[in-house]
Amino acid sequence: MTGKDLLITILRFVLLVLAQVFIFNKINFGGIANPMIYPLFIILLPFETNKNLSLFIAFMLGLSVDLFTGSIGLHTSASVFLAFVRPLAYSIVSSNKVYESGVKPGINNLGIRWFVTYSAFLVFSHHLFFFFVEAFSFDEIWHTLVKTTLSFFLSMFLIILLDVIFKPQKK
Amino acid sequence: MRNLINFLIKYSFIFVFLLLEIIAFILLVSNNSYQRSAYVSASNGVTANMQESVSNIANYIGLEEENQKLAAENAFLRSQLLESNLWAEGSLSTHIDSNKTQFYTYIQAQIISNSFQNRNNYIILDKGSDDGIEVEMGVISTNGIVGIVNSVNKNFCSIISILHAKSAIDAKITSNKYTGTCYWPGENYQIGQLKNIPSHAVFSVGDTLVTSGNSSVFPPEIPIGFIHEFELKPGRSFYEIQLKYSADYNKLNHVYIIHNLLKEQLKEIKEVRDDG
Repeated sequence: MTGKDLLITILRFVLLVLAQVFIFNKINFGGIANPMIYPLFIILLPFETNKNLSLFIAFMLGLSVDLFTGSIGLHTSASVFLAFVRPLAYSIVSSNKVYESGVKPGINNLGIRWFVTYSAFLVFSHHLFFFFVEAFSFDEIWHTLVKTTLSFFLSMFLIILLDVIFKPQKK
Repeated sequence: MRNLINFLIKYSFIFVFLLLEIIAFILLVSNNSYQRSAYVSASNGVTANMQESVSNIANYIGLEEENQKLAAENAFLRSQLLESNLWAEGSLSTHIDSNKTQFYTYIQAQIISNSFQNRNNYIILDKGSDDGIEVEMGVISTNGIVGIVNSVNKNFCSIISILHAKSAIDAKITSNKYTGTCYWPGENYQIGQLKNIPSHAVFSVGDTLVTSGNSSVFPPEIPIGFIHEFELKPGRSFYEIQLKYSADYNKLNHVYIIHNLLKEQLKEIKEVRDDG
């Protein structure tokens, strides 16, 4: 990873957290759906990132969002879970594909169809985990599932949009 | 020993994952308890200052609407003043009021951050212990009750919103004076639940709910909401009532913190009663 890449990554971290806290946390359609875009940071991490490192990064990412929202631990646990299922996601989504080293996940490099499947799997896992931890019980299971599904579609739309707008440079 | 180290290295991904999740859940659980709210940490330092500057911008944008609201409220208060004077003069039984013993004072405050989409919601206000705020003071807006102060630091305080799993407010139906308790079931931020209204009570959809005044936190007759739907299941002795909150918790901006001047005396007399 070059210095420029590192700078872009740090900038992306800060911008995604701020956008999440100050813009997307305020969009919630009467409390039934809450789009979350910060998972995009974990989604876009290069494939060869050390797995343990990615868990720590996810922890910091979730904690940053939590500090602003006042829900210490909630986004953190969901974000760590997201980093945990990420290796599973790319082994399921493209079992017969071999990645060249240096290829980053993204629409430009691997095509829209691949990207949508890959991020849909991750975003859904993240949202499901998040809303169950938020409810902290299985009593209101239908309500939780509806919230998960609606937020999922909203988040996916925004994540794909953001990825298209801020296309990474083709190498 | 060597095998153990090899084992730990081989499965380090899972162990690191479990470790971080355990930390996250410890944080979550220890910060979600009723009295020790995590919100004090969120109302400190950098994050609170940034929240404040963003909320300043939002305030400026909403200035016109807010002005209209304030004007309407001024008019309302003025009319109430005249009315309450007449009422005090014309009544003998309410000698506390006619002796001009003041029960409550109100402190105006501004919302810095507010949420309504979570199961348990908190609000941060820009007044703290420097302004005389203490825990367990009630908070209301022009349109209805908002919550109860649960932690205070120098310049900020955090409120447990009515939209919280642990909120329970004594309410009275104005048409028949029956009292019950309001809860928030968590599905819709505009809809609450009223329990403990006995099956022989008579009321109808649209009846107003106000605070009962049974607690020392809220004065009586503060609006809560309206009856939205009700049902009496066969064999039950209490109604299941849905209420619609009169305040829109999405649009709160200015609120009033209630200071009960005689709270200490009230507490004393309750302790005497409990001892006896």
